[in-house]
Amino acid sequence: MKTPLQKSMEKQQVATRIATIFETEFEVAPERLIPEAHLFQDLGLDSIDIVEMMVALQKEFGITLRDSDEARAIRTLNDLYDFVLNEIGKAKSGEGSAPQP
Amino acid sequence: MQLKRVVITGMGAVTPLGVGCEALRLGLAQQRSATVSMRNQWQHFINLHSLVAAPAPDLNEKEIPRQNRRSMSRMSFYGYEAARQALADAFGDVVAGLAHFASGRLGCIIGSTTGSPIALNETFEIMLPDRDISKLNAVKFFQCVSHTAAMNVAQCLGLTGTVLATNAACASGLQAAGAAYDLVRLGTQDAVLCGGAEELHPSVTGSFDVMFAASARYNDSPSDTPRPFDRDRDGIVCGEGSGILLLEDYDHARARGAKIYAEVIGYHTCASGDHISQSNRPALMQCLRQALASACVAPDQIDYVNAHAAGTPQGDTEEAAAIREIFGDRAPVSSLKGNLSHTLGASGPIELIATLMMMQEGVIYPTLNLQNPSPDCDGIQHVTKPLAKPLTTIIKNSFAFGGINSALVCRKV
Repeated sequence: MKTPLQKSMEKQQVATRIATIFETEFEVAPERLIPEAHLFQDLGLDSIDIVEMMVALQKEFGITLRDSDEARAIRTLNDLYDFVLNEIGKAKSGEGSAPQP
Repeated sequence: MQLKRVVITGMGAVTPLGVGCEALRLGLAQQRSATVSMRNQWQHFINLHSLVAAPAPDLNEKEIPRQNRRSMSRMSFYGYEAARQALADAFGDVVAGLAHFASGRLGCIIGSTTGSPIALNETFEIMLPDRDISKLNAVKFFQCVSHTAAMNVAQCLGLTGTVLATNAACASGLQAAGAAYDLVRLGTQDAVLCGGAEELHPSVTGSFDVMFAASARYNDSPSDTPRPFDRDRDGIVCGEGSGILLLEDYDHARARGAKIYAEVIGYHTCASGDHISQSNRPALMQCLRQALASACVAPDQIDYVNAHAAGTPQGDTEEAAAIREIFGDRAPVSSLKGNLSHTLGASGPIELIATLMMMQEGVIYPTLNLQNPSPDCDGIQHVTKPLAKPLTTIIKNSFAFGGINSALVCRKV
């Protein structure tokens, strides 16, 4: 069982890696990458970008993502952090593909 | 139905001689060759014998908003830049040009040999090692499709008129101009941005190489090739870039007081129906004759023939024969591929732009590297040094693999 501190650190690591994706793939300035930022309204992504984002997340985290209700519910960066953490957890528990170290 | 008159009111180009029409004109006036060695970039390809090409300058594509840029490859960047130049040339600036047309009245027709060969290469590099498509980018498809240049330029400019891609290899760009001519004279569009766009890739040169149609004897002296109509020609050199023309309804152009380069008065495209790669002089002659007939112009009224002549042994022979049969040695003939190399689908419009500039200047630029006219290309009036001559009516040829022929006739207004 992870402690709240461990969970917080893990989320921060995911956020940092996701930030790199957003800076390189979508050319978003780092200061705009706050957890409350809405992917479409605040960061200017569109439907094509979401597909690109999924491809990039799969590469970055070594997970396999599918179209799902959870994925469609993502609105903000914070939603995305939680989604990725959940997918990593599922992969580790054997529900999905094994994440890369 | 009264057909409309169609005039050329804007031109834009990115060529191996530089960015812009003035760079093209200057390069031709200075008789520069754009062919360079690709030995360092391509020598790792086994059995690629042709290690020369004519790259165009890199552009600062970061100026294009990301959501437009993401679906664009090199050929689309070139097409967009050339289209912007054409609009700016015709209207003073791009925004003013776009604002001039009612919704749906400005079209865009751009042809290329294939979709982006660079993107196609990247797609298969991603997909094939593990036979896994999960790593494929969503936007790669939009770079690979055959209408990538046309649709991306139209998207970037926000056009809502007719968008077409005339994909017929080396005739693509001239077919685009021909299709635009039809749309405007029928009144379907007030104006059309039309032309061709291409990007270099070793697979393109390699495709000609395996058919023994690419130049391979001048790897150590690149500027000596290609050699259109010359005794020592040994094939084409691939280039890249884009040429875009604005074809406009004459009345529309007159009403806004537009500068007019020339009127398009005739066009024809046809197939040889004979051989997939070999040029065929009866079919070339039929194409030229039909283009002249559609222009209501006799051969002796043509002041200059801008040849396709890419420097292949067989193609140049057949074109020279067709020109000889129709024009004899009366009309001056030159090919600009000695300077520009073969920009394939972009070559027709780029060379047409150069021809229109010759018309303005009253000078014909010669065929670079034509030192010893080949006996099998004899009997036509080769231009081997700049020739001062008023040009009123010209014909531009573009021929392609697949037995596709095209010719366009323009007259000074």
